[in-house]
Amino acid sequence: MGLDIRIPLGMIFLIIGGIMAVFGLITRGSVDLYSRSLGVNLNLTWGILMFIFGLIMYIAGKRQKWQDDPVTPRPWEREGHKSGH
Amino acid sequence: MNLTHAANLTWIDWLIMLVYFVFVLGIGFALKRYMRTSNDFFLAGRSIPAWVCGLAFISANLGAQEVIGMGASGAKYGIITSHFYWIGAIPAMCFVGIFMMPFYYGSKARSVPEYLRMRFDEKTRALNAVSFAIMTVFSSGISMYAMALLIQTLGLFHGIIPDQYIFHVSIVLSAVIVLGYIFLGGLTSAIYNEVLQFFLIVAGFAPLVWIGLRNVGGWEGIKQTLPSTMTHSWRGMAHASTNSLGVEWVGLAMGLGFVLSFGYWCTDFLVIQRAMAADSEVSARRVPLIAAIPKMFFPFLVILPGLIAVSVTSNMAGAGQGAGNSATIPHLSQSLTAGSNGTVTGTQPTASNLPLDEAHPHGIIPQKIDPISGSAVLSADGTPVYNYDLAIPVMLLHYFPTGILGLGLTALLASFMSGMAGNVTAFNTVWTYDIYQAYINKRGTDEHYLWMGRMATIGGIVLSIAAAYAATSFNNIMDALQLIFSMVNAPLFATFLLGMFWKRTTGHGAFWGLVSGTFAALLHHGLSLPADATPGIHGAWLHLVHTYPSDMAQNFWTAIFAFTINLVVTAIISMATTPRPESELVGLVYSLTPKPVETHLEWWQKPSTLAIAVLVMLVALNLVFA
Repeated sequence: MGLDIRIPLGMIFLIIGGIMAVFGLITRGSVDLYSRSLGVNLNLTWGILMFIFGLIMYIAGKRQKWQDDPVTPRPWEREGHKSGH
Repeated sequence: MNLTHAANLTWIDWLIMLVYFVFVLGIGFALKRYMRTSNDFFLAGRSIPAWVCGLAFISANLGAQEVIGMGASGAKYGIITSHFYWIGAIPAMCFVGIFMMPFYYGSKARSVPEYLRMRFDEKTRALNAVSFAIMTVFSSGISMYAMALLIQTLGLFHGIIPDQYIFHVSIVLSAVIVLGYIFLGGLTSAIYNEVLQFFLIVAGFAPLVWIGLRNVGGWEGIKQTLPSTMTHSWRGMAHASTNSLGVEWVGLAMGLGFVLSFGYWCTDFLVIQRAMAADSEVSARRVPLIAAIPKMFFPFLVILPGLIAVSVTSNMAGAGQGAGNSATIPHLSQSLTAGSNGTVTGTQPTASNLPLDEAHPHGIIPQKIDPISGSAVLSADGTPVYNYDLAIPVMLLHYFPTGILGLGLTALLASFMSGMAGNVTAFNTVWTYDIYQAYINKRGTDEHYLWMGRMATIGGIVLSIAAAYAATSFNNIMDALQLIFSMVNAPLFATFLLGMFWKRTTGHGAFWGLVSGTFAALLHHGLSLPADATPGIHGAWLHLVHTYPSDMAQNFWTAIFAFTINLVVTAIISMATTPRPESELVGLVYSLTPKPVETHLEWWQKPSTLAIAVLVMLVALNLVFA
């Protein structure tokens, strides 16, 4: 299939992680907001981790173009295979 | 609606959810141009790498039943719930990868029912295709229903749309989104979204578990707060009355570990379809094995939050009562003996819930609220009933500040959607290849079948909506699903086992074995009853012959019964009918198929090495949490 899943996967983590990290950065002084999470700024820390994961996935997906590999002939197109229906 | 647990969402949470939905539909649009043939639409062109299929393999199964049901069971029964993952999935996943995948993938069958036609005959395929199609529609409908109910209970749209429309809007919205991305991108789109969902679930629940464990003092803290039966997976399994599931180890190992689990993971097209989309036979065999590794650790993401939820805040209130646990067990077994006489059955409607609720704390689990009157639901003797299904959602609301809360809810919604999508893709394939092409229009062009697949997607969604509204009469999602699985899936594994490993098995044997297995399941269900239920939907609608300590025990034994009857009937009829010539069975039966060539693989690349590694990890996990 012509689309490497790691590209959209990387992108969604970059965007969501990015949003969370920026939001966490803006609200980092807010004691009220983070009393739920025992004082830990989950938005900032987890957002950054997600961003890094997204970056790795995105780069890996861009680098390795397995979709360009000669996967054809596909299994049912190979010689000796009776055509399906 | 339960306003005390209404979500307090801000724009940032909505933004994160919106990003997810844009991606979901975007993947569908991006893949649309690759959907040229029916092969692309139904089989993802058989070109997906093993790790992608592997993650889709577990994600497709990670619907409402998993996330909500497992969290609820974790809160209710404890770490013992992990049996559903450990012995209830991993061995079967290893078996299907090593022994069965060569026949599914190698035979070039496009679906599991089609394999049955190749191996047996037309009528066995028809029976399996029709019952499977009905089952997928039900599962997808239940997923849809659970999602709408959850959105309503959490008050996600509260203040945005009128309360009385929230349920209906949620149903329609989820239906339109799932329809959109499958209609456009077929199985590939479903698989890609399942991978996305897998990572989002991990990203959404891992910080929840981390922060929760920090709060309750880690695993050691949970062990101190909760009764020991909840923190050990094998303690008390020798007898049904000494563990919270109400099942003894024979029923657990045979019913769940063998019949139900092998019946599901080895024959259910919903999961097999993901492996069949892999790019080669070796990849296809690796798919379930790759899936088994994260599957093994999923209890820590979905069951542990349940345990944390009951350990939180009220640990003082619960600790004192926890000691009373051992005293409640004689009480339970007394009520059992009374029940088996058939005289007192109806008078103790919560016999198994009652000691359980007294025995352990409820933490932050909310009470069940009657959706109509808005007041707390009480059991017959006036004690409050707790809504364990809300364990995970309540955890999210308890620990997550706005921002990451959006991520947690996205993960939850993603799991519901994938559960639905998995069923819909399996349904459209079975409908198009095994019902429409087989019996209605045999001579259509490939283009026509591609069109039919898209129409079947619409049809499947419409039927799911109908099933979702039908499901409103069932209270417990797990019960309803288990009931359907027991009837349809349990006898099935006997048919595949004999078909793949005994060349003498005939089509007549397989068909009648399957029919009698399903009837045996129905009959067994009609004659038995869990201890705390009244005759009716829970069983004994024919006559009460035997009472089981719990509904789980009843389910497991129904499955064992169905499997045995199928095995025996298939064998007997096969001996009495003429088998097919051996030359026709090459590639379909174990003894007549050349073993997969593995000489080009290093020892560590072989599927069997991976399977052994998986099983070693499984044993280690069981020892740690024994």
